[in-house]
Amino acid sequence: MWSKTFPLAAAVAMLGAGTIVAQNQPIPQSAIKINLAGDSPLALLSFASDSGSAARGAALALDLHMSLTLRNTTPNRIHGVTLRVVAQEATLGGKASVTYPSLNVGPGEALPVRIDMQLLRPSQFSGGPLVQVDLDGVLFDNLAFYGPDRLNSRRTLTACDLEARRDREHFKRVLAQNGVEALAREMRDSLSRQAEAGQMTVAVSRAGRSVTSAAIPEHSAEFAFLQFPDSPIEPVKGSALLAGNEARSPQIEVKNRGNRAVKYVEMGWIVSDSANRQYMAGSLPSADRDMSLAPGKTTSLLQDTTLNFTAKGRPVPVQRMIGFVNQVEFADGKIWVPNRESLSNALLLKVLPPSAEEQRLSDIYRKRGVDALVAELNKY
Amino acid sequence: MKRKGHPDSSALALHAGGDLGWIAAWKTSRHVAGCDECREEIAAYQGMRESLPALNELPNLPWNRMAEEMRANIRLGLSAGECVREAEQEEVERPVPLFAGFRAALATAVVAALLVAGLILERPTPSIMSASVPVVQVTGDGVERRAGDQGFALMHEGVEVKNVTYSVGAQGTMGASFVDPQNNLVTMTKVYVE
Repeated sequence: MWSKTFPLAAAVAMLGAGTIVAQNQPIPQSAIKINLAGDSPLALLSFASDSGSAARGAALALDLHMSLTLRNTTPNRIHGVTLRVVAQEATLGGKASVTYPSLNVGPGEALPVRIDMQLLRPSQFSGGPLVQVDLDGVLFDNLAFYGPDRLNSRRTLTACDLEARRDREHFKRVLAQNGVEALAREMRDSLSRQAEAGQMTVAVSRAGRSVTSAAIPEHSAEFAFLQFPDSPIEPVKGSALLAGNEARSPQIEVKNRGNRAVKYVEMGWIVSDSANRQYMAGSLPSADRDMSLAPGKTTSLLQDTTLNFTAKGRPVPVQRMIGFVNQVEFADGKIWVPNRESLSNALLLKVLPPSAEEQRLSDIYRKRGVDALVAELNKY
Repeated sequence: MKRKGHPDSSALALHAGGDLGWIAAWKTSRHVAGCDECREEIAAYQGMRESLPALNELPNLPWNRMAEEMRANIRLGLSAGECVREAEQEEVERPVPLFAGFRAALATAVVAALLVAGLILERPTPSIMSASVPVVQVTGDGVERRAGDQGFALMHEGVEVKNVTYSVGAQGTMGASFVDPQNNLVTMTKVYVE
């Protein structure tokens, strides 16, 4: 009897021991380092962490929950901040970023931020902090930038700030011309669009086709383009390989029709299904970090990735694709984004996700009502 | 995408085609019996598979036509050769060569090889993602990067999924943007495939 039950008991005990080892161990606050340089425009006022780690094979999974309060030490207003969180530079899943756009932090004011994420790092490591939080960039109200910009934060934050100015001006105009009820209606429309936009789920992977679509014949499909009159970049032609609910290896040829050299282009990508429902699939940025597109010249935006589309758990077979210019960065660092008229004329507003600022303003309306929203708009 | 408590999409797709192993199939059937969402997803996969029978029929494509023509030509050549050989036998009365059927067998083998090559060329095997290929996807809690059983996630605790805006970069990034309920700040998190 014992000879039969002993191996079973031993196996159960080993499994139990494994479970105990894999349990979450708290990460001491001293193992997390917040790196702010001496000339940083932000100073650390307080820091709290409720983070833990668990062994996962040869890796250590870090479950990070941190609250930081930073203070603006400059005489300028801060409009955006990006933090880079690193457990291990070389490990896949070892780093991530958190960006706070649409800020309006005055001199001496505090900025409370939260970091919630999971990162991986090798179990074996030789001393040093377990996690480091670096400041990647700070954008000021005059569009001046501070920071190492390893994650292209300057471009991201500047584009967000231009979109914020564009959308605030739009809502202030609606308020001035049509009154409070019209503003409230705009907010309700925005919230409704945001709820609908969330119905599409996209998974991204590098190259290759998924098991579920590999049996379906693949074909090349052409992009149709929306043209914006004031865009410095003109999309010329483009295609992607489609199979069922997957699209892969998109490429779009664009031409610089302005008079300034361009170093970054980002195309928006919309797909429609068999019922002609349109979804925002994603963006197609230029991959070449050293791109310099002189006036009148053309270049191709290529990405060797596969996008897989589902909505409400069901695959969305892609029938058509539409592209439009979403963002342009000139060689001098200035940024172009589409204006509100172009977006509404092209009916893109129904499909595009809202800007960070529109998201913030609609959230104020949702939680605190239209009067609080009017008060917020009047601050600018 | 694997949702909490549900089989992942690959398992459901394989189940839809009856291609799961018996233990996995039994587990999936048990789950599906009580889950409308997964049942609907399986139905959707089955709908997509309806286009598969068309693939199994050999299309009338150039390679097949060429193979048939070549086979016919070889048969014609063999028949003509036999006729000539018979005439030569009558005239010269040479002995019948050894391995008379060898050439025919060789020709048949060549035709078969051509048919197989034609089939392979007409229906190339697509490169299929392995389970360990990194994928960035949306989950109920946030954005997740996963490769096999290893992954990491950017979570947005206390935020309803409907209040989160996701953005996808074809270079292999996924971002989530939401208003943090604790500090009312718009927070944008980003995950990278590589």
